[in-house]
Amino acid sequence: MAFIELRDIEKSFGKNQVVKRLSLDVGKGEFVSFLGGSGCGKTTTLRMIAGFETPSAGSVKVDGRDMSGIAPNKRNLGMVFQNYALFPNMTVRRNIGFGLRIAGAKGAEVESRVDEMLGLIHMEEFAHRYPHQLSGGQQQRVALARAIAVRPSALLLDEPLSALDAKIRVKLRDDIRAIQQRLGITTIYVTHDQEEALSISDRVAVMREGRIEQIGSPFEVYNRPATPYVASFIGTLNLLSGAVADPSKGTLLVAGRELRSSGPIEAPAGAEVKLSLRPESLSIGAGQAGHNRIEGRIESVKFLGSVVRVVVETGGQRVFMDTFNDPSAPPPPVGSSVELSFPPEALKAGAAEAASEPERAAAAEEG
Amino acid sequence: MKRKTGLSWLWLLLGIAYFFIPLAATFLFSLRGKKGVFSFVAYANVFADPLFLKTFGFSLRMAILTVAAGLALIVPTTIWLHLKVPKARPVVEIFTLLPFVIPPIILAYGLIRLYAKPPIALVQSPVLLVAGYVIISFPYIYRSVDAGLRAMDLRGLTEAAQSLGAGWLALMLRVVLPNLRTALLSATFLTLAIVIGELTLANLLAWPAFGPYMAQMGRNRAYEPAALSIISFGLTWGAIGLIQALTRSGRDKASGIGAGAH
Repeated sequence: MAFIELRDIEKSFGKNQVVKRLSLDVGKGEFVSFLGGSGCGKTTTLRMIAGFETPSAGSVKVDGRDMSGIAPNKRNLGMVFQNYALFPNMTVRRNIGFGLRIAGAKGAEVESRVDEMLGLIHMEEFAHRYPHQLSGGQQQRVALARAIAVRPSALLLDEPLSALDAKIRVKLRDDIRAIQQRLGITTIYVTHDQEEALSISDRVAVMREGRIEQIGSPFEVYNRPATPYVASFIGTLNLLSGAVADPSKGTLLVAGRELRSSGPIEAPAGAEVKLSLRPESLSIGAGQAGHNRIEGRIESVKFLGSVVRVVVETGGQRVFMDTFNDPSAPPPPVGSSVELSFPPEALKAGAAEAASEPERAAAAEEG
Repeated sequence: MKRKTGLSWLWLLLGIAYFFIPLAATFLFSLRGKKGVFSFVAYANVFADPLFLKTFGFSLRMAILTVAAGLALIVPTTIWLHLKVPKARPVVEIFTLLPFVIPPIILAYGLIRLYAKPPIALVQSPVLLVAGYVIISFPYIYRSVDAGLRAMDLRGLTEAAQSLGAGWLALMLRVVLPNLRTALLSATFLTLAIVIGELTLANLLAWPAFGPYMAQMGRNRAYEPAALSIISFGLTWGAIGLIQALTRSGRDKASGIGAGAH
């Protein structure tokens, strides 16, 4: 049975419907991320679970208990906010112990639980500091400890790492996942950062315009996107156009070359279709037998560290290719001709929807 | 650069002179109670006058009641405004200007007309005086509290406290009010300063308050009013100094000095 159960929940602010008939089951101990650009309804959905927003329709159940009409302070759900929201008038120790004291726990009990939490976030020596004496990352760790000190039935995190530096973000997200797995606490995590969502979640729910476009494991969502939107939102995607050659065999003509796609195409022969191709599925050279091959001219080479991104111009279209950095083999020079190959399974036909770069840019900027 | 610094000093000195020359003159004048020598005889006269202590005591009591009533009324309202209807804040700000726009004499006559006869006859009761004082101090209390609430992340702190199980009472007592400390202190002392010197309402409602006493003194005596001015100036500065001292000790605590941070 699902531990958190959302059934057809909706939320409107005036005429603006932010969440549309959204249903979701989260299992006990599961870590689910809501991933999407700004205004996709992910934070609103989380706030409805927390009780800070009331659904316009539908129901929220936690552990079989209907949450409608139950105030946020009676739900026993831990919440971590983007801006930490630590109490400025209290030390780290008192912040962490706040919920326990509210619940009526006695001195020694509070102290021992607070010590346990300080150990969990490795911040024993900061116990007597005030929030303004801590860095952003430390504050967020305290906020996490404060939220789980009261042993909530589930943990809700609203973009907890958005305000932090890249390096601390990576470290802290791993810490969050480790703590979550150690405690086995059911967690819902809201983020606009796909790497964050893919790296720490059991399942990722990709949201768009108030609906879940796809929910699945990070592997599924990345490799088998259910909709063109998911395909374009997650990871980098090459979008090419080609003409259908043989729909039943799934072959197409791209820049004068016949290519095989992952399966039959639902379009008549001669029809123009969009094709999607992940940059990492391409490689330089003829590849194995049966692989698709295209030829082009190297337009630019970007060195990204462990990965090198090569942009190739082929028949008027640009193709991105990602390859691991190899210290013994520098990338081919710009302007040279190159042959690229990729397996037929990597080429998906029917991605008719435009890649939404502006949408992703907005998501990345969303604070 | 050098010339600029010189000019800054000149303006500063002019400013100091503007404020302090009248004060020094008043002080020197207040010392001339005895012919030919400087003495504190005017001050002695003021303190010896039983009316001084009586009226000051009365005004102080009224001021304390005003602070209590004003804070009880305005603090929760302002918090509620911030949390629930932030869009109504500009409207309330216009309301806060009304006590500046409407002269106290109009307010006093309005109160007398409305509450002189049944069903609500309050003219004989200090309740009406305190109610009037709450209106006069409303802008000061509201603006202090509003500034205090703007300075903290009220919504975030409220939601954090609620998610940790806190109800409204715990939220107010343990989170919001402790973080409003400076704002509440400044609202309190501003109200004290205003109410203690207030003349019109006390006069028209016929209460033996400090404001009317000072006015009376000014009409009948020469040196004592100057001494009174200096005394009330001292009391006001004392109150401001107290705010500074209390908030600084709060800040020191918050910044970890003496709080055992390491």
